[in-house]
Amino acid sequence: MTATLPVPLDETHVPPPIRLGRSRLYARRFTRNRSAVAGMVIFLVLVGYATIGGHLTSWSWSEQDFLALTQPPGGSHWFGTSQGGNDVLAQSVHGLQRSLVIALSVSVLTTVISAVVGAGAAYLGGVVERGTLMVIHFLLVVPSFLILALVSNRVSGDWRILILLLTLFGWMFTARVIWSVSTSLRERDYVLLAEFMGVSRWRIVVRHIIPHLGGLLIVNLTLGVVTTVLSETSLSFLGFGVKLPDVSLGSLLADGSATINSAPWLFAVPAGLLVLLTISLTLIGDGLRDALDPTSMAGGRG
Amino acid sequence: MVRYVARKAIGWLVMIVVATNATYFLANWFLDPRSNYRELRPVRTDEQIAHALAPYGLSPSWSIVHRWWYWLCDILFRFDWGHSPTGVPVNSEIPQRVLVSGQLILLGTVASVVIGVALGVYTASRQYSAVDRAGQAVSVVLLNIPTAVSALALVLGAVWLNQLAGTTVLHVAGANTPGVDGTWHTILDRADHLVLPTLNLTLLGYVSWHLTQRTLLLDTLNAEFVRTARATGLTRAQAIRRHALRASLIPTATSVAFSIPAVFTGAIITEWVFGWEGMGRYFTETISQNNVDGVAAVAAFGAVATAVGAILSDVATVALDPRVRAS
Repeated sequence: MTATLPVPLDETHVPPPIRLGRSRLYARRFTRNRSAVAGMVIFLVLVGYATIGGHLTSWSWSEQDFLALTQPPGGSHWFGTSQGGNDVLAQSVHGLQRSLVIALSVSVLTTVISAVVGAGAAYLGGVVERGTLMVIHFLLVVPSFLILALVSNRVSGDWRILILLLTLFGWMFTARVIWSVSTSLRERDYVLLAEFMGVSRWRIVVRHIIPHLGGLLIVNLTLGVVTTVLSETSLSFLGFGVKLPDVSLGSLLADGSATINSAPWLFAVPAGLLVLLTISLTLIGDGLRDALDPTSMAGGRG
Repeated sequence: MVRYVARKAIGWLVMIVVATNATYFLANWFLDPRSNYRELRPVRTDEQIAHALAPYGLSPSWSIVHRWWYWLCDILFRFDWGHSPTGVPVNSEIPQRVLVSGQLILLGTVASVVIGVALGVYTASRQYSAVDRAGQAVSVVLLNIPTAVSALALVLGAVWLNQLAGTTVLHVAGANTPGVDGTWHTILDRADHLVLPTLNLTLLGYVSWHLTQRTLLLDTLNAEFVRTARATGLTRAQAIRRHALRASLIPTATSVAFSIPAVFTGAIITEWVFGWEGMGRYFTETISQNNVDGVAAVAAFGAVATAVGAILSDVATVALDPRVRAS
């Protein structure tokens, strides 16, 4: 990748770059990226749907309408009803909420854990570093999807435990990336300066090394949500994740798969929401990566 | 070279043993084989259930260490991986399921790699052209579709196609139709059943190859040795084909080897949706049917697949990259 440098031919005619605050610069770079803005709009609409979408229908997600079983979209049920007479709109709102809460919390937790573990291991070095790397490598080898399915099947679909499990098996890969980036940071002058000033070791990790990884962490946070949505969907689809009476987008998809020919709307609604969610988050993540890139020259003028 | 591989293999063997045993204990902790008998009518007493489970080494009256020792000795001395709670031997299930999954995964991986690498090379040599941008957009969409969604969408499309044609053009379930005989009919029938699951694995699999191969080739296009090649009088196409492409294929070749166990997890949902009785299906069945021995065997198989993939990728690096020496 080559960054195109501005040609220093006629420096008198080039207007001096406007000094923007860092957050304003990032915001400007982000909003100039059309696909990132589209992703943001889709994501906000989805969040809005998950929070206030329940008011679009008078039915609650767990309520059953025995007069309208497997009814196609229309009438008082905008998105139709399931085989048990549940309103699909209300269920999809609840399912989206579940999937969003699980994905966001797992992503935040894994990012925090991997930042502290990765940067800590890189800075502290020695036995701590070797031990941490061994644990990470071992966890990468164990069949995590199998263990995830095994354990979450037993706890019978409590979404809070699912968050814990997905976090437990989700942090290693990011931690390894952060460790390898941080190994070069520990030699930097400002870290040495902090050491000479007598700042404690953990304080250096938290206040001096981790902030330097900010961009990487934010991008990982966004893309981590996508990964979690995908694995939560797989687990719930196979019947090992969120289970009845609770619903998530994955379990709704599993319900819809049984009647895909006779009642395709049961499949289409959760499938559409899932695809919109993951694509919008990826577009946001890519936009953030470009906006936070310290070598980027975009957005300095105008 | 042999010593290098042997050293790696021993390290992986230790990992496999530890992971399999850890899974055995976890499975014992989280699965209860007794529940398979509790739903039977007339109601079995606890003694009767323990009596029924005893021949399979699953008796709840044994301590966990005792059960583990029984399980381990059977594997070590007779290569017997145990039984399901209802007495189905694990050894009778795995070989045929590996074959079923194997043909699916092999075909899917080969198709993904070929399509992905070809697209990657094509788009990288035409960076920022319309084709490149379209390819990127399609890849971003495909990369984010959950496997379950794409598989079900394919089923929906195939059913629509079958209705349109008025006959079964594409089979949506199973690996073969029972009762088909004759060599040609069997081959055609198998191939027809393979179309949709392979298509699903390929659609989701080619994307990452496309994106990585594109990045890798773009990185080498500006390398000095490619510029030198151009300076000796080669055309751009020749320089790409003979110099840049060869160098950029090395990391791809090593990760192809590594990708086979990863496809194994991806195939769980594909096998589930298309009703293939492969390893992925066995994975879900062992867990939902409290098959402790089966879960441990699946874990062992997965760990062996990972190890073989990793060793193959190491060998590929040493064999292909002249800058790397085995030591």
